[in-house]
Amino acid sequence: MKNSIRLIALATSLALSSFASPANAGAVLDRVMEAKTLKVATDANWAPQSFLNEKNELDGFDVDVAKEIGKRLGAEVEFITPAWDIITAGNWSGRWDMHVGSMTPTKARAEMFSFPGIYYYTPAAVGVHKDSKAATLADLEGKVFGATTSSTYEAYIKKDLTIDAEGAPPFEYQLNPGEIRSYETSNTALDDLRLGDGVRLDAVVSSLLSFNEAEKAGYPIKVIGDPVFYEPLSVAIERGDDEFAAKIAEAVKAMHADGTLSKLSQKWYSVDRTTVN
Amino acid sequence: MLYADTVEANVLVHKPWFVAAMFAAVFAIFFAINLPETAFGELMRPVIGEPAESGVYGRFASALVIAIILTLNIVMIGFVPIHVQIGVVWIELLVLFLAFFYTFQLDFPFILQKLPFMITQGVLTTLYVSAVSIVIASVLAILGAIAKLSSNGFAYAIASFYTSFFRGLPLLMQVYLIYLGLPQLGFVVGAVPAGVLALSLCYGAYMTEIFRAGIQSIDRGQWEASRSIGFSFSLTMRKIILPQALPVIIPPTGNQFIAMLKDSSLVSVIGVWELMFLARTLGQKTFQHMEMLISAAMIYWILSICLELIQSRIERHYGRSKVR
Repeated sequence: MKNSIRLIALATSLALSSFASPANAGAVLDRVMEAKTLKVATDANWAPQSFLNEKNELDGFDVDVAKEIGKRLGAEVEFITPAWDIITAGNWSGRWDMHVGSMTPTKARAEMFSFPGIYYYTPAAVGVHKDSKAATLADLEGKVFGATTSSTYEAYIKKDLTIDAEGAPPFEYQLNPGEIRSYETSNTALDDLRLGDGVRLDAVVSSLLSFNEAEKAGYPIKVIGDPVFYEPLSVAIERGDDEFAAKIAEAVKAMHADGTLSKLSQKWYSVDRTTVN
Repeated sequence: MLYADTVEANVLVHKPWFVAAMFAAVFAIFFAINLPETAFGELMRPVIGEPAESGVYGRFASALVIAIILTLNIVMIGFVPIHVQIGVVWIELLVLFLAFFYTFQLDFPFILQKLPFMITQGVLTTLYVSAVSIVIASVLAILGAIAKLSSNGFAYAIASFYTSFFRGLPLLMQVYLIYLGLPQLGFVVGAVPAGVLALSLCYGAYMTEIFRAGIQSIDRGQWEASRSIGFSFSLTMRKIILPQALPVIIPPTGNQFIAMLKDSSLVSVIGVWELMFLARTLGQKTFQHMEMLISAAMIYWILSICLELIQSRIERHYGRSKVR
């Protein structure tokens, strides 16, 4: 009796392990090349990097970059839009091959993902309500800060940000928050900020680009001080397939070299953000 | 009235003490709120002058006007027959509601432009996901209820474990667990199947308890009588117990259907482009999410009203025996 139970347990674990195949060398690349489709995960709520345009299709800087990488790999790009925390949770199990959604290479993320191609840099800035009396970052001592949950901005406020990429400019923590509120998207944080100075939030840390977009849309907010840090943003793939990583690195490098990325950056941001400046 | 009868009673809202109390309460509440500072103050401008400078007089006058309007309205409604009462109150509440939305100054051309996509992509996906889940959940519930009522210890244990587990976890967590957890076992399910699975399992567990309670509400004498004249288990169930249990089961089941329709929005976190996902996404670029959220809210509401109407139809069908 005991033996038979052990046998069943053994058989089950064998069956399970044969199902769960971790990404082998070249496995993802083979899958992409065979199907001629590159499945790309991205955010649908992150204008102007990725959003739904007037035709209700995904559009934006990240989306254009993903399409260009797909073209250079010779594969059709297919987009999938899970929530950000599902992407960063890892264990993609082949649901998508690559993530082009402005992910910053950090030490914690590097345990799960590899970052084969940095394609642009964003300045992270601090925004406050138009009526705020704060003129410098030092004036925000002990105030209530908002940021997207499990983002680099939140990590920065918590003084827990380690950017793990070559060429990332050094930075120092300039904020001493009293309270930190986490939001699902930065737009929700901005919506709380627009209610008034200190009503729900005193300041938001986010990408300078989103602040500019929001100001354009008439949000009563302003950016104070210089950008607090510059984050390199990279294509992310799961660890384990070096051949796939090499292929993407090559494509992104070529896009830097022939000016494709600069052109796309000009198109979406009206400035070249593909180098630190 | 649960059952219409011929006992005569005075209408509550026409009793002087009630009218007076209502008037006083409304007046006190609106006097406490600083009305002249709101949009209502602007409406009162001919009477109270500059709203900001009207002071106590402005507050007094505004609260008085509102209290008179409200009290008169309720007293008047008390005079008309019940059907008219229901209609009038519905319309009044709806108008107040729309007035509330109107204050957001929504961009209606933008809503009209996005509406077709919200319906063809969002509503269709929402309906599809909820409909499939409802069917699976109903099957699970019937099986679960029979298992929970059976004298088979094995079946009872499995069914009670199932209901306990899936009623005991937040639905959002189940969505995450199934979507992220199943691949660990080697089953890489897509977003829609994972969502459908989570919704069916969760609602199946709730509906199991509803079905079980409905079946148990039938007097045991019915069961004993049926068995004693030689009916088999399944014949007793089909011909005696279930026909009587159905009228008890249907109202809470309709509730579950409506709840399911809205809880299907939780699958938006795994990237299914259903109504809630589009509501959060479509307006982001131009910061017009209030427009999209309100449109989606209205669509959900209309869908729920349809389900409510269907439910009341079915209830009337099964309630025939109670009509005199």
